[in-house]
Amino acid sequence: MTAPAMTLSDVQQAALIRKLTALADDEIILAQRGGEWTGHAPILEEDIALANIAQDELGHAGLYLELRRALDGSDADALAFTRSADEFTSARFVELPKGDWAFTMLRQYLYDAYEALWLDAARKSVYEPLAEVANKAFREERFHLQHTALWVERLALGTPESMKRTQDALNALWPYVGQLWQPVEGEGGLIEAGLLPDLNAVKTRWEGLIVPHLTVQCGLILPPGGAEQPGRDTHTEDLAPLLDEMQRVYRAHPDTPYW
Amino acid sequence: MTQPHPDTQWPRWEIFKQDNEKRPYQGVGSVHAGDPDHALLTARNVFVRRPAAVSLWAVREDDILNATPEEVGTHPEVLDTPGEADTYHVGIKKTHKRSMTFVDLVESVEATGPGDALRQAREQHADALAWLVFPDSAIARTDDDPGTVESWFAPAKEKTYKQQQYYGVIGKHVGELKREGRMPRRATEEPHAGDHKVYDHPHDASPAELKTHEVQKPEVQK
Repeated sequence: MTAPAMTLSDVQQAALIRKLTALADDEIILAQRGGEWTGHAPILEEDIALANIAQDELGHAGLYLELRRALDGSDADALAFTRSADEFTSARFVELPKGDWAFTMLRQYLYDAYEALWLDAARKSVYEPLAEVANKAFREERFHLQHTALWVERLALGTPESMKRTQDALNALWPYVGQLWQPVEGEGGLIEAGLLPDLNAVKTRWEGLIVPHLTVQCGLILPPGGAEQPGRDTHTEDLAPLLDEMQRVYRAHPDTPYW
Repeated sequence: MTQPHPDTQWPRWEIFKQDNEKRPYQGVGSVHAGDPDHALLTARNVFVRRPAAVSLWAVREDDILNATPEEVGTHPEVLDTPGEADTYHVGIKKTHKRSMTFVDLVESVEATGPGDALRQAREQHADALAWLVFPDSAIARTDDDPGTVESWFAPAKEKTYKQQQYYGVIGKHVGELKREGRMPRRATEEPHAGDHKVYDHPHDASPAELKTHEVQKPEVQK
């Protein structure tokens, strides 16, 4: 059954495009960071697992950008591979360099929890195409979350060294994670109209999930909350070098055929 | 207790995969992991990204007893290996053909220990190339609740599965490049353009050869 296409106002459409692009940009940048471990992870099995997770995230970016294409005809590859750092709308949380294994696993855990819960809520979107995408991506995100939750627990409860690294990672990441909860311009209207999940409600669920896991289960100490963050138009200095590497092949050979 | 392995500090787990409810569990390979949950999670990533499964078992290698007919011949005491009485799962290897799976779990038997289970496996499947037994209590299983099945196994079913040979090099298939003489036909072969030997540096060729064939250096992509 095909749902009748929902009619969006110009304001709604512009806000939805902003949100879909922000969601996709986070996935693309985090996938690239995950991909940087390929061939370098601590053990072969985890190398494969992280590459798998990164590919899934990239797949989700593809889903979001396909929704955007339906709205404005934009091309996913062109968006991913030709925009400059100034044009990306990724959160600084996903831009930070990959760090050590504890940093990578903890960031992925915090992100997976956020994405899984956001998608879970987005399954009830009145915008049918988004509800469909959310249903699809939610399943994978649930599995990612199990994997990264397991790793955070084992690192935090492992050796004094792994505990220290995990705590250091939490201290470094915590000031940035709040940015994931900043609405894009016009998001409030879409939430009211039932197109997008209520960010505050998702955040409450997220905190209820990750805070006990990090503190009670893993014995980590939650750092104090960070100051108010600038928006998604402000990037870390790490984004431009990341894009330089990620976009190099596309820029050098824009018309190369692929499989 | 598991001893540290020379190649890794983590124990090895043999992974058995069930493709659908009507199929036997099949040995697909192994993972190294710190504990049962970790073994199952990594196994899902390594073995179930494509194409399909409904359930995974992970069994620590220390909990598995296996033997070939030759090994039973030279070490018959393997049939007396002591252990707990339990339901034992029996796997047999039937072919040397290499494929995605190596061992099928064909049945379970009640046995007084692993040696007894191996003895029963040998009697039931005399023509097997190898037998493998492990107790039911040693299995780490994926959950079969709908949430687990949905998040662990359902996504792979909707993804395209392509055999390795489906993929060529970008732009051109490797066979095409070989026919054009732009790639060595054998690993040890010197570069040719068609039937003519070519050289990276013109002075490597003898003047006579150059005169005869007027070989042009092909465009080699570095």
